[in-house]
Amino acid sequence: MDHKRIAIVLAVIWGVVAILPVFFGSTNLYMHILIMCLIWSVVASCWDLIMGFAGIFSFGQVAFFVIGAYSSAIISAKFGVPPIFAVFAAGVVAGGLGVLVGLPCLKLKGAYIALVTFAVHMILEPVLKGDIGRAIGTGGSRGILTIEPMNIFGYTFLSSEPIPYFYLMLLVAIICSAIILIVIKSHWGTAFLALKDSEDFATCLGVSAFKYKLRVFALTSFLTGLVGGFYAHYVGMLSTRMLGIDLFVTLMVILVIGGVGKFPGAIIGAFITIALNELLSPLGPYRPIILGALVVVLVLLLPDGIIGLIQKILPKKNNGLPIES
Amino acid sequence: MLEVKNATKKFGELTAVNDLSFEVSQGQVFGIAGPNGAGKSTLYNLITGLYPFEGSILFNKKEIRGFAPHAIAKMGISRTFQIPQTFPSLTVEKSIGVGNHFGSQEGYDPSYVDNILEFVSLEDKRDELTGQLNLLDKKMLMIGAALATKPQILMLDEPMAGSNAKEILALMDLIKRINKDMGITIIIIEHFMKVLTELTQKLLIIETGTEICCGDPVEVTNDPRVIECYLGDVNDKN
Repeated sequence: MDHKRIAIVLAVIWGVVAILPVFFGSTNLYMHILIMCLIWSVVASCWDLIMGFAGIFSFGQVAFFVIGAYSSAIISAKFGVPPIFAVFAAGVVAGGLGVLVGLPCLKLKGAYIALVTFAVHMILEPVLKGDIGRAIGTGGSRGILTIEPMNIFGYTFLSSEPIPYFYLMLLVAIICSAIILIVIKSHWGTAFLALKDSEDFATCLGVSAFKYKLRVFALTSFLTGLVGGFYAHYVGMLSTRMLGIDLFVTLMVILVIGGVGKFPGAIIGAFITIALNELLSPLGPYRPIILGALVVVLVLLLPDGIIGLIQKILPKKNNGLPIES
Repeated sequence: MLEVKNATKKFGELTAVNDLSFEVSQGQVFGIAGPNGAGKSTLYNLITGLYPFEGSILFNKKEIRGFAPHAIAKMGISRTFQIPQTFPSLTVEKSIGVGNHFGSQEGYDPSYVDNILEFVSLEDKRDELTGQLNLLDKKMLMIGAALATKPQILMLDEPMAGSNAKEILALMDLIKRINKDMGITIIIIEHFMKVLTELTQKLLIIETGTEICCGDPVEVTNDPRVIECYLGDVNDKN
């Protein structure tokens, strides 16, 4: 999909999402689901950027989200930093750790990157629960039970009144999706695709694999950590339960439904998956079975996800990306 | 212009390039030949920074050993690959633009990309995705993208492989034009001796990573050691 079309699809998506509180605003549960859709749409889009566009099989996205959430909670609680600044500091912490994780990954390819990044995910839980975690204020196994709510210019966003927080998260999601679109459209996006398609040829044409791979690690982990911070100040408590397999699988389902490397498919995938997940919750243990079956059917019938279907319906246009600084 | 001095590359017990030394002069078309597995492509990987190695390679009297491939490309050494490499996610124009944007020291110049598209006869296919191209066009695209970096040396790895007679003539004509019209020094790995004797001014023959002989292409191709290397022992009556 060319960039104008991506921008139009994004405008339609955010336009529709912006008016949803008109229909669901009276029910806090629905607004909570919509806020979670917005949060996961950013995390999934970041994962899609690093995996779908840059071809780096990073499985560390949930870990960076959790790092961002804990960092923001700790920074605001320990150092008295206002939450709005703490979330940015959390993004920097997650971005910095993303670069640290990215460095050894530069020497690796494919499944080995998946192993290293998933190892970070696996290591995080014992670190947060253990002595190191307790020393920095994670609360150990108990987690963090009271996190200051988001406060901007004296206005406090309470989770009991979700509509203002919904619009705050909508603004964050719009900004993050715009950043991702700009990156895809720029020479960064071209470098990511060239490195994904043929790394040896791309590097022999002057593309620095080191520079662009580190950039994608830094950017995606920064945005994911930032959104993790907003999540922490919204839910008001944190535990390492987030590092369970459920969230990881949910993100995978989001990407499959949206289409891997088919931005903004991840955003559509997030709304469908999170909403479906909640709607199917009365079915209890049958819920994951139904979601799993849905993924199998979608992979077989729509391997490029919802966006692939939209591309098939819309008249074809040039798929190439411009070289622009 | 390019001096390879005692280059050695080992993969465990296997010595792929063994103490190889040669020089390429500015404006020259320098040929490299040898049987399959002789270490020709490995040698290219050493020069372009894809593999670490022992020895030394000087480009314009500057040591390039230890530099990353993208840095070597920016210095002015560009290459193609034996198995055509393209960017299936990008169009022909954007693929050539990759070379110009990232490899050229002057940065992206759309008019230069247009010139290259015309030079490699791909201007009609500029908006096609590269995965849809035929073999000849993929080779032209690789050469075009490499030329877009504005190289001083272009290294071609078996450009004629898998081509028919007509395509070979088209590729030979292109290589001559790159050398004469653009003034670019060329190093070419090739199996077709006729192509090498017609195009090159100097020819290096290697076997199991070791130099067999190096010099005038006609003399080299008539050298008994080269004939033996390709066809077996000329005196062997069995």
